[in-house]
Amino acid sequence: MIEIHGLARDFGGIRALAGVDLVVAEGERRAIIGPNGAGKSTFFNVITGELRATSGTMCLAGTDLAPLTVWQRARLGLARMYQRNELFDPLSARDNVVLALTLRGGAYRPLRSPTRAEQAGADAILDQVGLAGREATPAQALSHGERRQLELALALARRPRVLLLDEPTAGMSPAETERITRLIASLDRSLTLLIVEHDMDVVFRLADRVTVLHEGRAIVEGTPDEIRGDTQVHDVYLGKAVEA
Amino acid sequence: MTLEQALQQALNGLSFGALLFVLAAGLSLIFGMMDVVNLAHGAFYMLGAYVALSVTRITGSFWIALLVAPLVLGLLGLVIEPLLLRRLRGRHLDQVLVTIGLSLVIVDFIRLRDDWGWGATVRSLPFPAGLDHSIPIAGSDYPVYRLFVIGFGIALAVVLALVHRRSRIGALVRAGVGDAQMLSALGVDTDRLFTVTFAIGAALAGLAGVIAAPVFGLQPGMDTDALIYSLIVVVIGGLGSLGGAVAGSAVVGPGDTFGKVLVPQFALALIFAIMALVLLFRPTGLLGRIRIGR
Amino acid sequence: MRRATLVRLGVVLAFWLLLVTFPQWSAEWASSRYAAGIIRQILIFAIFASSLNLLVGYGGLPSLGHAAFFGGGAYAAAIAAQRLGTDELVVSMGAAILGSALLALVIGFLAVRAVGIFFLMLTLALAQMVFAIAFQATDLTGGSNGFSGVHRPTVFGADLGAASDLYVLVSVVFLLVVLLLWRVTTSSYGQALVGVRENERRMRALGYDTRTLKLSAFTLAGTLAGVAGALAAYEFRFVSPNDVALGTSVTGFVMVLVGGAGTLVGPFVGAAVVLVIERVLPSQLPIQTLLGIVFILFVVFARQGIVGAARALAGRVRA
Repeated sequence: MIEIHGLARDFGGIRALAGVDLVVAEGERRAIIGPNGAGKSTFFNVITGELRATSGTMCLAGTDLAPLTVWQRARLGLARMYQRNELFDPLSARDNVVLALTLRGGAYRPLRSPTRAEQAGADAILDQVGLAGREATPAQALSHGERRQLELALALARRPRVLLLDEPTAGMSPAETERITRLIASLDRSLTLLIVEHDMDVVFRLADRVTVLHEGRAIVEGTPDEIRGDTQVHDVYLGKAVEA
Repeated sequence: MTLEQALQQALNGLSFGALLFVLAAGLSLIFGMMDVVNLAHGAFYMLGAYVALSVTRITGSFWIALLVAPLVLGLLGLVIEPLLLRRLRGRHLDQVLVTIGLSLVIVDFIRLRDDWGWGATVRSLPFPAGLDHSIPIAGSDYPVYRLFVIGFGIALAVVLALVHRRSRIGALVRAGVGDAQMLSALGVDTDRLFTVTFAIGAALAGLAGVIAAPVFGLQPGMDTDALIYSLIVVVIGGLGSLGGAVAGSAVVGPGDTFGKVLVPQFALALIFAIMALVLLFRPTGLLGRIRIGR
Repeated sequence: MRRATLVRLGVVLAFWLLLVTFPQWSAEWASSRYAAGIIRQILIFAIFASSLNLLVGYGGLPSLGHAAFFGGGAYAAAIAAQRLGTDELVVSMGAAILGSALLALVIGFLAVRAVGIFFLMLTLALAQMVFAIAFQATDLTGGSNGFSGVHRPTVFGADLGAASDLYVLVSVVFLLVVLLLWRVTTSSYGQALVGVRENERRMRALGYDTRTLKLSAFTLAGTLAGVAGALAAYEFRFVSPNDVALGTSVTGFVMVLVGGAGTLVGPFVGAAVVLVIERVLPSQLPIQTLLGIVFILFVVFARQGIVGAARALAGRVRA
């Protein structure tokens, strides 16, 4: 589903990504972990197109992503749950999701109002993420945990093929973390997931395979158990220098 | 064009550039520090010129006017910033809108003050004694005043650069232009800093008005012309930096002058085209600070 | 159509009927003709302000160059009628629509590549270019003297020169524009514009081509401004560089903000307020100063404008 080879991104003199290789099968749930500064956010930004890659290739279901803009990649089936919520604050939760839904069928017919079907669909998704009853509340009036749920709803609404989850449990209480983790676990298996996470419990619960990033490179890849026992990974997290 | 004419035009370009620098420096400073594009900048410029007109009439001295007008504008800035802009902290677009309203009031005020010798009729400010003659340069006579403007612009640039680099207020400005929030977190009274910055910016606009008045005269619409030119200069040169104001004036001054002489139909279009290109491909300007996410 | 919408539509049409028949039912009143003239101008500028509102209020695109399309439409209408030797409405209005649409497309193409304050400056600068052209192209536009002797339009030969006929024309166009903008703003397109205003980054991540969205809104707004411009040309029988000047752009902005940005009725209210200040108040008063002060007060204290504040008040009363 996702094929990335030699992906690199420089910022002036800094090599944020130094040649990342990643191959993810359809339906697979891959966690991306690594110490701070390893390049995880940059990695996501390059995949979605918000940052341009300095070199390397990326393909989504065989389509080369490099010449595509952010919105073109989104239309290919790429969705993202941002680390810092990107919501439409004054709009109600329902209107937030309707905006995401309207494009689901491809090109939208601009001059018609959002249909009842779309609004019902939005409500269904809000229910799925646990926001039932909060549909009419403006996004800015929701609690932090609820906003995170809405953020996930926006990403799911488009029925993507690949979902990038950028630290989904960031800043959450244990109860909220539990809820979001269960939600993600219950997502349909046809959806390919890429999850950046710091919380190892979440990683071990959700991931089929784990990729470890360090200094802009993928140094280790394997199942969660393999990673758990890997000495290189231990060293990286403890700050020792690693031969890449 | 003959060599003499070219030299004349080059001098014209330089003096226009010097004037633009004085005008744009204030705008650039205010934006760099406060993230506000002061759309009343042209009105401040205009007010400075008219204040100079009255002061010159009363005292008979251009030089006193050169001192008084910027002071008046500075005082005005000291009053306006806390009154209107401070309560809109963080609402950058609204601050810009307020400056629009401000310019409406100032320009209308000038237009209505016939009793002060202002009003809507075209006025002129005589060259100061001692600078009202021409000297021969490369074969033909060139007005000394314009040479004075060049000198003044350079001197001001040097003074501002020194203050910017060596003084405490300069350090505060440099820091504030980089990150005002951080400065506030470090305990600096940013409110007062902003007020002073705005006042200095207004004073510089007024100063430009005085300098320009003997050359360009005083008439309705001069505020819009000044605003447009200063916007073009800071966009091309770079918003928020003194170096940007210098770079921008160095491009627009001679560019506009030579453009008007060589291709008069398209001179204006040329300058606008350059501005549009810069805005599109290098929005920070030639020497500006990175400010795109606003 | 939903019932709430039908009710609103009914109210709008009823109000419009009152408006369009104003000259008739107010005929006894001594100032009837004068008032009708003021209303005509209010409607013309309400169209202008409404078009700007689409950009500023809904799209969050602060344009300070909107007069370029207003004046551009006015010039196009006047020049077309003169050069083509006909006063037919279709011709001059058609020229206004085409001309302003094209101009908006060109300027918009450049402008939407900038955001926020840079967008504002770019629109200002590009509009000034249009002003410079209007000023210098004396053969075409009459230069600084303006284009005088603009004829009132004819419709299939019938002359609309009389003030009352023009009143009907303006009212009809106003209604059409209001209905169009109503449809646009309540549609998915309108919601998408609001989305771009609130969070363009997210809109792109959702798959929206935001640049094209902004450009289409810019072009639509410019075209409607051109329509207002043509009506203004008929009304005043005169077009000048002032119609494309920064002052006119600013006035439009004032109307939008004072009335209520992002609301449908706001621009109409704003146009009424501004025009009453400009035309009805005694001319000894400092008009521009007054407008400037009113504008400042609204920006600082009542950012949502009259309609926005009224809605907030109604909401609080209801609660």
